[in-house]
Amino acid sequence: MSAAKKRGPVSEILVQNLWWNNPIFIQVLGICSTLAVTNNLTNTAIMTIGVSLTTAFSSMSLSAMNKLIPNKVRMIVQVLVISFFVIIIDIVLRAYLPDISRSLGPYVGLIITNCIIMGRAEGFARSNPPLLSFWDGLTSGFGYMAVLMLIAVVRELLGFGSLFGIPLLSALLGAAFTPWTIMIMAPSAFFLVALVMWGAKTLQENMKIASKTAVQTKQGGAK
Amino acid sequence: MSPLVHPITLLFASIFTSNILLANFLGMCSFISISKDQKSSFGLGLAVTLVMTITMVVSWAVLKLVIEPLGLDYLSFIIFIIVIAAIVQILEMVIDRVSPALYMALGIFLPLITVNCAILGAILFMQIRNYNFWQTLSFGFGSGAGWWLAIMLLSSIRKKIDAAPVPAGLKGPGITIITIGFMAMAFIGFSGMLSVQ
Amino acid sequence: MKRDGMLYTVLFTFIICIVFVFFLALANELTKDRVASNNRLTERSAILSALGIAYTSPDQVDSLYDAQVSTLNTDQGPVYKATVEGQARYAAKVAGPGLWGTIRAILAVDERVERIEGFQIVSHNETPGLGGRIDEPWFKAQFRGEKIGPQGIAVLQGSGKGDPDPENSQLDAVTGASRTSQAVQDMVNKEISLFKSLRDKGGLQ
Repeated sequence: MSAAKKRGPVSEILVQNLWWNNPIFIQVLGICSTLAVTNNLTNTAIMTIGVSLTTAFSSMSLSAMNKLIPNKVRMIVQVLVISFFVIIIDIVLRAYLPDISRSLGPYVGLIITNCIIMGRAEGFARSNPPLLSFWDGLTSGFGYMAVLMLIAVVRELLGFGSLFGIPLLSALLGAAFTPWTIMIMAPSAFFLVALVMWGAKTLQENMKIASKTAVQTKQGGAK
Repeated sequence: MSPLVHPITLLFASIFTSNILLANFLGMCSFISISKDQKSSFGLGLAVTLVMTITMVVSWAVLKLVIEPLGLDYLSFIIFIIVIAAIVQILEMVIDRVSPALYMALGIFLPLITVNCAILGAILFMQIRNYNFWQTLSFGFGSGAGWWLAIMLLSSIRKKIDAAPVPAGLKGPGITIITIGFMAMAFIGFSGMLSVQ
Repeated sequence: MKRDGMLYTVLFTFIICIVFVFFLALANELTKDRVASNNRLTERSAILSALGIAYTSPDQVDSLYDAQVSTLNTDQGPVYKATVEGQARYAAKVAGPGLWGTIRAILAVDERVERIEGFQIVSHNETPGLGGRIDEPWFKAQFRGEKIGPQGIAVLQGSGKGDPDPENSQLDAVTGASRTSQAVQDMVNKEISLFKSLRDKGGLQ
C-alpha cells in the first residue's frame, strides 16, 4: 500500500512547480533575470509577477492554438506569442508604473528570452489543454517568484538596509549600519542562488529518503 | 545624443569591466549547461560572438532606418527578435554552404542562440544608450568576445572541479554558479584598468 | 489546405503578425496620453524642485505649476520663470551625453545668473551605485545657492559627501564616477553660458 497521498492534477502541478521541479533550483532556467533584478524587492516583485502572467497567458494561448500552428514555424510562433504578452506588460508598466518601468529598464524586454516561458511552452502547453496550461504557467512563475523574492530580501536588507524601499536595518541601526556592498553587486546573486539550490536539493534528498524509509518500515511491519 | 565613451574604450569595457555575462547576467542558461565541455564551449563562444556582432549592426540599422523614423518604438522587441531569428537562419545556411567543417563545429548551436538573452539584451542596451555606429560595432563584438572569454574560463575551471569532492546538493549547477560568482568578483577587479567611469 | 504546406505556413504567420501588431498598436494608442502625462508630471516636478517650490504630494504638482510657473519662449528654447521669496528664478531643461546614455536634468538660476538655485535630474542611464549617484540628495543639494564663477562651476574629486561652501563655485564629484560627474559639469556650464547670453540680451524678464 502506498504511503503517498493521492493528489489531483491541479495541486500536483502546483507542488511540482513550486518545489520538486522548481524552475530555478531544479530546472536551472530563468537565471538571467534572477540575478539582475534581485537587489531590490519592489523590482523583483513586479518582474516576477510579469513573468508569471506572461508564462500563464502564453502557455494558454499556445495550447489553444496547438492544432493550427504549422510545425515549421513552431518556435517562431512561440516567440511571437511571448513577445506579444511581454509588450503588453511593458506598455502597462510605462503607463501606470513609470518609475518602476524606468528602473527595470531593458530587463522587461528580456522576459521574452526567459527560458522558463519557452520551457513551459514546449514542455507542457504543447500537449495539454489551455486551462491546465495556464495553471502550469502561473505556478511555474510562482516557483520562480518564491526563490527570487527570498534572494531579494537578503540582498536588499543587507545591501541597502531596507525592504521594498522602506528603511529597516538602516533605520534601526542608524549610523552603525554599514551596507554590505557586495550584496548590491553581481556576485552576491550567484552565491545566494547556489545556496538556495544547495539547501533545497539537500532538503529534497532528505525528504525522499525519509519517505522511502517510512514505506520500508511499513512494509517491514506489515510482514 | 550618443554617450561620451570612445569605441575602443567601450570594446575593452564590454569584455572586462562590464562583461555581458558576469556583470549584466545575460546569457546564463546556455553558459551553465554548455560549459561542461571545453570543445563545445569554444564552438558556442565563437557562434555567439559572430551572431552578436552581426545582429547588433543590423539591428542598429533597423532601429535608425525603420523603428525611429516610423515611431514604432513599442514594437521594438518583436522587430529585434525577428531580426535575430532571420540572421541566425541565414547564417546557418551560409555557413553550411561555405564551410561544412565550420557548420559541424558550430551549426548545432545556432538555433540555441536565437533565444539566448545575451543577444536581445545587448541590442536593448544599445537602443537605450543610443549608441552610434562605431560604438554599436565595438559593443557588439566586445560583448560577444566577453561572453566567449567567460565560457572558456568557466569550462577550464569546471574540468578541475569535476575531480573535487563537492557536496551532493551542490554538484553540477550549484558549484558552477558559485564559481561564476567568484569569476564575477574577479572581473570587478578590472574596473581600475580603464577609466571608464 | 494542408497544415504543413508552404502556403498555409506563410498565411498563418502573416495573419498572426497582423493580429498581434493590431492589438499592440491599439494598446499603444490607448495608453499614449497617459504616458505623455506621466512624462509631463516628471518634468514639472523636477522644474518645481529646481525652482525651490516645495510640494508634498504629486497631486499638488499640476496646480502649483500652473499657479506659479510661467513659460518664456526664447530663441534658446523654453525658459520657466517663477517668483520665489520675492525674487525671480529661471529654469531650463538641460541634456548632455553621459557615460551610458543621455542625462536629462533641470537647472535653475537666479535672475542675475549669479547663483544656481537648484538642479534636478529627470532621467539618466548611468551605472547604479556609481554614476547613478548623481541622483542622490547630497549631490543635488550642493547646487542650491552655489555661486556661479566666470567659468561656471567645477565638479571636482573631493570628499564625495558634498561641498558645503557655496561661495567657491566648486562641487564634489561622485567618488569613483569621474566621467559621469564630468558630464554633469559640462552640461551645467553649457546651460549657464546660455543663461548668461540670454540675460545680456535682455531675454530674462
